[in-house]
Amino acid sequence: MIEIKNIMKKYGNGPIAVNDVTETMSKRVTTLIGRNGAGKTTLLRMLSTQLMPTSGTAVINGHDIIKEPHKVRNSIVSIPQEASPIGILTPYEQVRMYLIGRRFSLSDASLAARQALETVGLESSMHSPSDTLSGGMKRKMFVAIALASNAEIVFLDEPTTGLDPLSRLEVWSAIKKLDGNILLTTHYMEEAENLSDEVFLQDAGKIIESGTVKKLLKRFSGKIRVESQSPLDGSTMLGGMHILYDIVENAEKHVKNGANVKKITLDDLFIMRGVDLEY
Amino acid sequence: MNIRFIFTFAWYYGVKIFSRGPSYVIASLTTPLSLLFIVYVLTQGKLVEFAVVGGMISLIGSIGLQSAGDATFMKLQLRVQEMYVASAVTPIDYMLALTMSFLTFSIPGIVVYTVLGTIFGLYNTVTALSMVFLIVMLTLSTSAIAFIISGLVKHVRNVWGIVGILSIIMTVIPPTFYPYTDLQNFSTSLIYILFISPVTPAAISAQIIFGLEPWNMAILTYSLLTLVAETVIYFAIAKYLIRWREN
Repeated sequence: MIEIKNIMKKYGNGPIAVNDVTETMSKRVTTLIGRNGAGKTTLLRMLSTQLMPTSGTAVINGHDIIKEPHKVRNSIVSIPQEASPIGILTPYEQVRMYLIGRRFSLSDASLAARQALETVGLESSMHSPSDTLSGGMKRKMFVAIALASNAEIVFLDEPTTGLDPLSRLEVWSAIKKLDGNILLTTHYMEEAENLSDEVFLQDAGKIIESGTVKKLLKRFSGKIRVESQSPLDGSTMLGGMHILYDIVENAEKHVKNGANVKKITLDDLFIMRGVDLEY
Repeated sequence: MNIRFIFTFAWYYGVKIFSRGPSYVIASLTTPLSLLFIVYVLTQGKLVEFAVVGGMISLIGSIGLQSAGDATFMKLQLRVQEMYVASAVTPIDYMLALTMSFLTFSIPGIVVYTVLGTIFGLYNTVTALSMVFLIVMLTLSTSAIAFIISGLVKHVRNVWGIVGILSIIMTVIPPTFYPYTDLQNFSTSLIYILFISPVTPAAISAQIIFGLEPWNMAILTYSLLTLVAETVIYFAIAKYLIRWREN
């Protein structure tokens, strides 16, 4: 369980990256979603003891991240955003090396590394130099590190950024095999919908909404998103597009008028907020 | 301290990498061996023993400093350091693991210079043990300087230039390839300035211990104490500047 208490981070004279966040995260897979620069990575780095908060703190599985970072570190694993393998070493060598750093015995590390790499589907390439692997395989190597660590809490910072759709699906499948609770950040709404038990929407450093995907989308029940190049009755201009939320029954009418009709997704939480910010 | 991790890391990041791509090690040998050749030609062999002993010191120093590139690359580009921060690995474990890897990179050079030293009859039990001590201290101190650089550098690209400059200033200009007494005669203050590089006290100690320069207990003691003190100080600064947990 992660209990965040009034945590705040400000870099020098820059803007506040994380602004007075107080939340409890206890579900199996929790996702922080937000646009680039929303403060997701900063919050995750503070929780995983890589970055000191400016004020406030958090308690992870009963241990304070400021007073007891060593105890926290024993129960977590954190895979940074855009982490890359050491190209000349094999996935097996890198997973094993990391596990020995976590005080696994040599034989346990070998066994756990092999098993985790097999689980994520890297059995045939675990002994090839990492620079010969595809982007998806490299990400899966990091998921294998998390899997083999057997940590109670896994932090994954944008684990599928830059991957093609098929590789993303493969990494999702690997993430679903992880033990322990997972806190991941993403700006892919589809990823949050697919993986999360609970979602926290972060914007300008603050958590602005939270809940299950179902709960968050409840307000859009029975609705569709209509996107049009020309103004619609009651529409709002956003990103060069006229956007309107309408009832499902009117979908056919909008299509006939040349508009695009989209199913509601978590994207709409952002679009809606964008609309709110416009007014 | 996680000894098992330190040696495993050194095995993979040192031995394995060397065996899969030895160009890095060969490249690090070129400067000291070229200088050895130049010294041999220019002095018609008179100072070649200085260059054999100094070449070893220079090689270890330059490999230690060049490791700043690796440390920075792993921190800023690969994000490997970040991953280890959020684990049971301590900054000392991580620094010693990388340092051990760099020592591994030095092994081929150590072999070459040991063979040359043996050919020139420079090694006995005392000089050999002294050289082992100097190699260990130099590896630790120059790697610590490398970690200081990697902690301060914000962009990977900058580190190569900084290391290139420091490598010349800290390993070639000090009295590695020529008698330290020549530098003393040239400028006493310069020798004290050059003491900021651990290569200087190591080279002076080696020249006295190997009998290349007259025995001088005071200068030897001063040099050895400076080398030990610099190793401790540079490591302490590196532990702080490695920014294990960023502020």
